[in-house]
Amino acid sequence: MSLKKKSIGDVVVLTPKGSLIGDEETSAIQKTVKELIAEGTRKVVLDLAEITWVNSAGLGAMISALTSMNKAGGDLRLANVTDKIRSLFLITQLFKVFKTFDSIAEAAASFQSDPPAGVPPLE
Amino acid sequence: MPEDARHSDRTGEFESRTECLENIRLFVSHEAAAFGFDAEDIGKIVLAVDEACTNIIKHAYRNRPDGRIHVRVSSEENRGRKGFVVTILDTGLPFDAAHYRPPRRLDYIRKPRRGGLGIILMKKLMDEVEYSAAPGAPNEIRLVKYLRTHAQAHRS
Repeated sequence: MSLKKKSIGDVVVLTPKGSLIGDEETSAIQKTVKELIAEGTRKVVLDLAEITWVNSAGLGAMISALTSMNKAGGDLRLANVTDKIRSLFLITQLFKVFKTFDSIAEAAASFQSDPPAGVPPLE
Repeated sequence: MPEDARHSDRTGEFESRTECLENIRLFVSHEAAAFGFDAEDIGKIVLAVDEACTNIIKHAYRNRPDGRIHVRVSSEENRGRKGFVVTILDTGLPFDAAHYRPPRRLDYIRKPRRGGLGIILMKKLMDEVEYSAAPGAPNEIRLVKYLRTHAQAHRS
């Protein structure tokens, strides 16, 4: 898996490519999100357009990244959720946890109209 | 045929390495398609098998690469329904299904865990999931998915 990073204003867009399945792949996302938090980023979009396969470890990594960002007062939102991943989200009810958007532009714009709460999450 | 998989009579033998998961997925996908499932159900079966084998590699073999995973595909009739049966055998540490407590969804927000979602997924994706382990015998996971009738497929 490779991970591309770009910025749209104060929003950072992460685009993983390939399979999101195991420790190596998923730890790259978690590590990058923690680095972003340390740098002061609080608005992240995870673009799933180039993900070809995801399993429970991949879902776990997304949840972990979201939790880290929420604890820092920020948010991680998903863009380009494929039908396959959407189906997994329905099965696991994770669609209730993530904010999902059809495009990177919509996800990035959502931070203007619906900014992160900036408060510590449930504990 | 990849070197790490030897198929005969719809059985594949694979090494306990995550690199072999793709070949396991290909094997099961091919068999499920031949059985008559549509793309959606093939995706569900393949993911369930992937989750089961990932758990075997991580937990039964504790990431040791020299273990073996046998994936056997067969069919059964149950009350007029045609079932696609995937039986997965390993000789690693047994999974204690009787004492397993599945996580609740909100647990993942408070305390993210690895692995627990896999079992939830398997049970949601398949019609039946059974574990069995006995002293001196391989651990066995039996996953069953029934072919949907035309009417069921149309309703969904």
